[in-house]
Amino acid sequence: MDILSPFQIALSLLVSFEPELMGIIGLSLGVSLTAVGISLVIGLPLGALLAAYRFPGRGAIIVISNTFLGMPPVVVGLVIYLLVSRAGPFGFLGILYTPAAMMLAQTILVLPIAIALSRQVFEALNAEYAPLFRSIGLSQFRWIASLVSEARISLITIGLACFGRAISEVGAVMIVGGNIRHSTRVMTTSIAQATSMGELALAVALGIVLLLVALIVNILTQIVRGRLQDHGYEL
Amino acid sequence: MNSDLATTILTISALTVSRNGNRLLDNVSATVARGSITLLMGHNGAGKTVLMNCLHGLMAYDSGKIDAPPRTQQKMVFQKPVLLRRSARQHLKFLCPLLADAKIEALLARADLNHRANTPARALSGGEQQKLALIGALATHPDILFLDEPTAHLDFEATKSIESMIREAHDGGTSILMTSHNRAQAERLAQHVLLLDKGMLVESAPAPQFFSAPSHPLARHYLDHV
Repeated sequence: MDILSPFQIALSLLVSFEPELMGIIGLSLGVSLTAVGISLVIGLPLGALLAAYRFPGRGAIIVISNTFLGMPPVVVGLVIYLLVSRAGPFGFLGILYTPAAMMLAQTILVLPIAIALSRQVFEALNAEYAPLFRSIGLSQFRWIASLVSEARISLITIGLACFGRAISEVGAVMIVGGNIRHSTRVMTTSIAQATSMGELALAVALGIVLLLVALIVNILTQIVRGRLQDHGYEL
Repeated sequence: MNSDLATTILTISALTVSRNGNRLLDNVSATVARGSITLLMGHNGAGKTVLMNCLHGLMAYDSGKIDAPPRTQQKMVFQKPVLLRRSARQHLKFLCPLLADAKIEALLARADLNHRANTPARALSGGEQQKLALIGALATHPDILFLDEPTAHLDFEATKSIESMIREAHDGGTSILMTSHNRAQAERLAQHVLLLDKGMLVESAPAPQFFSAPSHPLARHYLDHV
């Protein structure tokens, strides 16, 4: 394989805005960003709650979410497959081999990361703010909401970590999405397929595209973070 | 109304606090007169902050009793101001969500912070941060204000400004209980002094008497070294 050919292919795919590739990139971003969004909406308040309060079942939630941190994606994919396949308990939803199933798989993989990382951030913030919040008699809801608000810059980093995990996922989305052309094919499953078919230059080119997408998302978030830092909001 | 209630804002009875086998407060009993400025003095580790945290409900105590105004009528300013990662104006609005914008602006102006209102609260100077914390605490005219070394590490100008705000709050009817290591400051502000030593209250006296003729040997020793 000519060492330059993957870069040439990647470049030509990108500059030509090849429709199928654009569709794959769009679906990859759509599925992963949705999964990250859902995970942050659930995971951040839960992380804040676990950091700020002691309640029955707290230890169990921490153990379960930490266990899921190390869960192999293919196992998650298999479990979701069994749940949403036609014979499964949620088969009536009809989401197997659809982007919805892929979002579900990525959400389950990313949610424990959002919970674990945010809990760490919130524990430090809660130690700092608990005297003030208790002193002014803040309600539980405002307490949690305030912790989430104060952690906003750290949460950008958590969001990035979740996105990195989601966008690079292949095993689970392959199982529940099926890698169906024009329907559930994303960048990682395209790379896996191109590799298995011996189209190594194309596989490497798609890998470069995947890296570029991740790079662009990182640059954008760094710009936002930098703007906030310039205004003194991370002191 | 009972005359004690009319003249006393805070009554502490046999308060004891232990942590990890160490007695932090040992059978402390004292009163704070309504409308007074009372200085809580003592060496590092004497139990001043522990007592203040117990009085404000931030720390549990093992035994004893505290008669104090309800939490909504108490405010506390910490030695290191706890500030949000927001602008000075937004921080004040967070502390006083029911205050009208005009009142917020008036408070900022009172603390000479109106030109710094959009600056992140945590980027203000030490003196400005403490003034912001103080106007936030005083905005709702609490019955009692706890101040935990509010001028520690501040320069003369900032200290003067904070002391002026404390006097103004006192003139407005707020009772003040404040810790300080600074004898000159205590003599400037205090009407009454409580001296703690190793978790025990060793002296409770009107300020002039405490500084001129303390009765307890530990009080004399303390004044010789501050």
